[in-house]
Amino acid sequence: MRRDAHMRGKVAVVGYGRTPYSRAKAGERIYTVDEYLAWAADLALGRAGMTKNDFDGQAIGVAHAEASHTVNWSAAVAETLGISPRILIRADQGGASAAAMLIRAAAMIEAGIVDRALIMGADTPLTIPSIAPGLPLSPERTRGVFWDFQGPFGVMGANAQFALVQTRYMDKYPLRDEQLGKISVTARYHASLNPGAIYRKPFTMEEYLASERLSWPVRLFDCVPMVNGGLAYIVTRADDARAITKTPAYLRGFAEVNNYYSGSRTFPDITDTGFLQTAPEAFAMAGIAHADVGSFQPYDDYPMVALIQLEDYGFCKKGEGGRFVDEHDLRIQGDFPMLTDGGQLSGGQPGGAIGGFQPLIEAVTQVRGEAGERQVKKNAGVSVASGFGGMTYARNNRSCVTLVFGAEA
Amino acid sequence: MDAKHMDAAGKPLPEITDATRPFWTAAKNRKLVVQKCGKCGTLNFFPKPWCIDCGSRSLEWVEVSGKATIYSFTTANKVMMNFPGWKADLPVTLGIIDLDEGARMYGQLVGAQAGHWKIGMKVKAIFEDISAEAGIPKFVPA
Repeated sequence: MRRDAHMRGKVAVVGYGRTPYSRAKAGERIYTVDEYLAWAADLALGRAGMTKNDFDGQAIGVAHAEASHTVNWSAAVAETLGISPRILIRADQGGASAAAMLIRAAAMIEAGIVDRALIMGADTPLTIPSIAPGLPLSPERTRGVFWDFQGPFGVMGANAQFALVQTRYMDKYPLRDEQLGKISVTARYHASLNPGAIYRKPFTMEEYLASERLSWPVRLFDCVPMVNGGLAYIVTRADDARAITKTPAYLRGFAEVNNYYSGSRTFPDITDTGFLQTAPEAFAMAGIAHADVGSFQPYDDYPMVALIQLEDYGFCKKGEGGRFVDEHDLRIQGDFPMLTDGGQLSGGQPGGAIGGFQPLIEAVTQVRGEAGERQVKKNAGVSVASGFGGMTYARNNRSCVTLVFGAEA
Repeated sequence: MDAKHMDAAGKPLPEITDATRPFWTAAKNRKLVVQKCGKCGTLNFFPKPWCIDCGSRSLEWVEVSGKATIYSFTTANKVMMNFPGWKADLPVTLGIIDLDEGARMYGQLVGAQAGHWKIGMKVKAIFEDISAEAGIPKFVPA
């Protein structure tokens, strides 16, 4: 029995915000990271009926961003926003940051250190100063031993790294291009129902299959589009949440693992992720079974990553993700709705570190019944979201977080 | 971009430190070296400050044969999140390479067409100079 098993339903998300995203095209107003943080926080505060001053003496959380080239980044954000929090939460776990900070906030709230937290993330990957022309990386990413043993070896970033996972997977398990394509096509269909998504024009399987192999076997339509943007959410004690809103999204279960190895440290199996550990733990805390899940919001920087999560979460057996995709309707009206906001694949990713807010916020949106045209109907009150962050050296990823949200505590 | 971290062709160069110099120097001398734990014998790549298996800081660089097996590979048709100098080399096939002695590393696969490579294929290390101080291993069919 986990010592945190009593945490089911102790906190709830009562507000969230997601700014419009931008591809920073010529002529567009370009916003800074600070502006996006304030914008996202403003949207979340408005939804919760709160003001920024409600967070004096409370907690704020800030996700690390590529653009945040400053020391004391979270404290600098407090200064910029004019908030005097008791506690600063900071996560630098890439796409797992948003989910990881919810766990930190829940623990601080349950311990009585604070009653609520405002958690934010924003990044401007398309307009940060770049280390080299055409290289959207901050200088800190291209320095140090980790980079020195990749860049000069010809490692072409995340596309190549997840392509290596995909090649290995395709060697070990059955997988057809159409199965990954179905995930991408479905995400785009959901994006067509979501005014906040950056790419909304549906594409067909034929168009998917015709898209260029940027890093074989990974195609253009497998890749998450970078955007500038910001997201935020507010988490409170469950009893406060009930006074704030009729529809709190309770955090029913969570689990996290960092630097997960499947097998030995020397030769781990890179087709496995830490969700093999976190999903059963989080489902047990939440007291749910797979059949209870009304919508699934995996982290989807690549459809391959989403497909592996179908397996590692236990929705199907290892190696049967392709077949699962064939046998299920992944749309909101289908029997297994996933990526109901268009995911990051079509929604956009505001930098590698901030996209992880999106599955969390979409799960909350679905549980609260606020998804409008893309609202799922069956079992809408339970949604599961992933945080997935950080690139490793020749392995899968660094941080996996599973969150289970419920309309009931 | 300062010249120190990029060669004349626009490809990235490593920052060579006391911790990593043995690797770059060895590759310049056509040798492949990896760290070996003096306590438990585990091999490790890329360089770490202690053995990731047992935590011992007693690490020494040892030469390995360069014989290896392809664990996975990908062929880049575009340069993304790396330096534009790679364009001249496209397509670039990158492998995850399992060394026979027991360590895993990234390495470019060269000396055959992109369609040639398969998981499980045996390969061996060759070496190229990338600067006056550093060489780099690449892998060709064994």
